Amino acid sequence: MRDAATNGAPALDATHPMVRLDQVAKAYGTVQALRPIDLEVRKGEFLTLLGPSGSGKTTLLNMIAGMTGPSQGRVWIDGRDVTETPPAKRGIGMVFQNYALMPHMTIFQNIAFPLQIRRVPAAEIRRRVTKVLEIVRLPHVAGRKPRELSGGQQQRVSLARCIVYNPSLILMDEPLGALDKNLREQMQLEIRRLHTELGITMVYVTHDQEEALNMSDRIMLMNGGAAEQLATPHELYFAPCSRFAAEFIGTSSLVPAEITGPGMARLVDGTTVVIARGATTGLGHVMIRPESMRLTALPGGASTPNAVHGTLQDTLVTGGTVKHFVTLRTGEMLVIQELENEHRTNFEHGQAVSVSWPVNAAIFLDR
Amino acid sequence: MPTRADRGVSIIAWTILVFLLLPSLVVVPIAFGNSNEIIFPPHAFGVVLFRRFFTEPGWVAATFVSVRVACLTTALVLVVGVPAAYALSRGHFPGKRALALFLLSPIMVPGVVIALALYIYYARIGLHDGTTRVVLGHVVATLPFVVVTASAGLRQVDPALETAATIMGASRFTLFWRVTLPLIRSSIVAGGLFAFLISFDEVVISWFVARADTITLPVKMFSSIQWEVSAVLAAISTMLTALSVIICLAVAALQRKEAR
Repeated sequence: MRDAATNGAPALDATHPMVRLDQVAKAYGTVQALRPIDLEVRKGEFLTLLGPSGSGKTTLLNMIAGMTGPSQGRVWIDGRDVTETPPAKRGIGMVFQNYALMPHMTIFQNIAFPLQIRRVPAAEIRRRVTKVLEIVRLPHVAGRKPRELSGGQQQRVSLARCIVYNPSLILMDEPLGALDKNLREQMQLEIRRLHTELGITMVYVTHDQEEALNMSDRIMLMNGGAAEQLATPHELYFAPCSRFAAEFIGTSSLVPAEITGPGMARLVDGTTVVIARGATTGLGHVMIRPESMRLTALPGGASTPNAVHGTLQDTLVTGGTVKHFVTLRTGEMLVIQELENEHRTNFEHGQAVSVSWPVNAAIFLDR
Repeated sequence: MPTRADRGVSIIAWTILVFLLLPSLVVVPIAFGNSNEIIFPPHAFGVVLFRRFFTEPGWVAATFVSVRVACLTTALVLVVGVPAAYALSRGHFPGKRALALFLLSPIMVPGVVIALALYIYYARIGLHDGTTRVVLGHVVATLPFVVVTASAGLRQVDPALETAATIMGASRFTLFWRVTLPLIRSSIVAGGLFAFLISFDEVVISWFVARADTITLPVKMFSSIQWEVSAVLAAISTMLTALSVIICLAVAALQRKEAR
């Protein structure tokens, strides 16, 4: 795992991390559900655990929450070793995919519940519940039952129920998974806003890479019970550490290749290209993002050091962007994306084309 | 859209239901007869038999005993059964399955065996208070029903609700009292109504363990029939049937409300 977290991440309180996982692992019998993981979540950070189902992200979240005990390793929250501390005593908040609002309580009672547990005086409860309902922009629903609200409203109430008792850490387990696309984007903004305004550390679990890229300060990409890469969204997109990372995040073109010298790789079709980043020896793949590539007609294409020849298979116009699909002589497919404009060159299907990219756009992945 | 097979099954079901219900329904017209003998169909109608129930010595007193026993049984069996069901569904402890089987065993053991066992056991430990004897016997008989209905309710509770409450800082007690219990309220009420009904109807255990001061209504009915076949019994049976129907309808209404 490459922790390249220094660039781009916001400046955060550096005294001690809000969450520290120290070689935390989980085994069920002989099945290793989670291989040992180290992770530090900084104070005020929005960190996302991203991965396909079964990658261990929810297990990891449940271990921070205390709902699952680790088979080994220590869990620290706010400088305190909480490995043996039950969830009720960890002082955290959690938001669930199905909202988990108490159906027998009104919205007011739901939000008041954690305050009553903390024996906050009634007048103070009234004041704080009213305030958080304003923060989540639902001031008029206090008297209603959860089932009378829409999914998006219920999730806002569930957020309100979390922030009302000022936990130092909020965990979110696919909180937008049950909402439709438009509402999901709106709620992403809402959660980001709450995170910025309140400065609460958030650990967020999702399998939706777009959501992770939109919201996170840093993302921990998980795969098969292990941490694949921990990086900012920007790094994860432009400097993935593996084929899995490259394919899971966004669209990528991967061409089998071999390093032939310092900064040089030979692609499977024999073309030699310049490699600015990534692994420096061995066999692997060259990865280029679709928006980094440029398409020109052959013959007569620009003679850049990074150009491969291929055949245009298809062109897809999706609103503001255009996608070209080009196959190399050896069968690999490249996806090139450019912005649509009126004066775009038209290419014929089956036409011989040259695909080129800036020197620093290609990255060599050896796994 | 019901298929032909569905319709066939429902015809069979209704036939069996009518066949089983008919004997109970026959007592209704008899109860409204004017004769002191059990005649079907009655020659004239009136409420003479109901009047006799309220005026003849013993019947009303026996009814009060039954109501008291059924209320005490219901209260006690809920206090024991609901926490037991909670422990069985949420707890992890050795012997859990054995305990579950033990709590449900009164369904599997014949009533008369329980009755005899209790009779011998009470004599052995010197328990002489009539009400206590009958109520404890009824708790044994009704416990499985309460455990089963409460467990069914607990299975319906979304685990995320309990997780959420725990993470918010709720203690086990708060979790049970403020979250779980209100969520299974209708299951508890249903279990309680069943317990009340079973206790109110119960004759075998009561017959074995009752004392002179705790003759319940079914026991008095059973003993009176040994002397004379009184038509008052038809009136009482009618009232008991009405009570059963009302309670069952209440349970059904609760479940419908739950399903919504």
